[in-house]
Amino acid sequence: MATPKAEKDLHLPLSRVKTIMKSSPEVDAVGPEPLYLVTKVTELFVTDLAKRAYKNSEKNFLEYKHIAEVVQQDDTLDFLREIMPRKITVRQFKEMMAKKAAKANDSDETSEESSEEESSDESSSGNSNSNQENKS
Amino acid sequence: MAEKLEDLNLPLTVVTRIVKEALPDGVAISKEARTGLAKAASVFVLYVTSAATNIVKNNKRKALTGQDVLEAMADIEFDRFVEPLKDALEQYKQVAFAKKQASGKKKDETEDVEMAEDE
Repeated sequence: MATPKAEKDLHLPLSRVKTIMKSSPEVDAVGPEPLYLVTKVTELFVTDLAKRAYKNSEKNFLEYKHIAEVVQQDDTLDFLREIMPRKITVRQFKEMMAKKAAKANDSDETSEESSEEESSDESSSGNSNSNQENKS
Repeated sequence: MAEKLEDLNLPLTVVTRIVKEALPDGVAISKEARTGLAKAASVFVLYVTSAATNIVKNNKRKALTGQDVLEAMADIEFDRFVEPLKDALEQYKQVAFAKKQASGKKKDETEDVEMAEDE
């Protein structure tokens, strides 16, 4: 009998998914079946999100904004909105601020030293804090 | 426990591979789009996990089951994934069952595997 390898149809590493799941305080053990399903559905999710974002793209080039667009438009993706904000340019930001200022009518403390709103997302996760790293 | 912060993210290369398989050949994906998708996937894992553990809690049970994950999909309004997931689960069970039979002779290695008993 040719055993079909169900796990082989997965791309994501089960161990990593497990680690992430266990990082939730309410989870202590994760059985193989729920682990498989969560992994599988995450892959479905990525596929789905990518395909939808691709529809927003042009010239065969998928960019961040195309994904952010999907996220902002679909209420079931609300949980992603904080980590995938729409990005705006400094110029747009200034315009926004200008409008705001106009509304708030000459409270003249608002200068235009634009805080750079380009949010270069590469917030390095180099946990440099020398905590006690207990390796188990 | 996660030892490093990176352990709480899904690997970028793997997520990218999934994305590439989903899209037509020759589509370019910006770096930021890749990291964004990988991040989204990592957060999604937690989101599903929390929805599933809610179900467990509400039923006053302790262990998380595959059924909880399936039901969680409806709760978070990802019903469209339920059918493909069910299919995947069916397949998974069959394989797990076959494996169990194959290795069952050698040892009764019960490492909390609570897999398919039917079929």
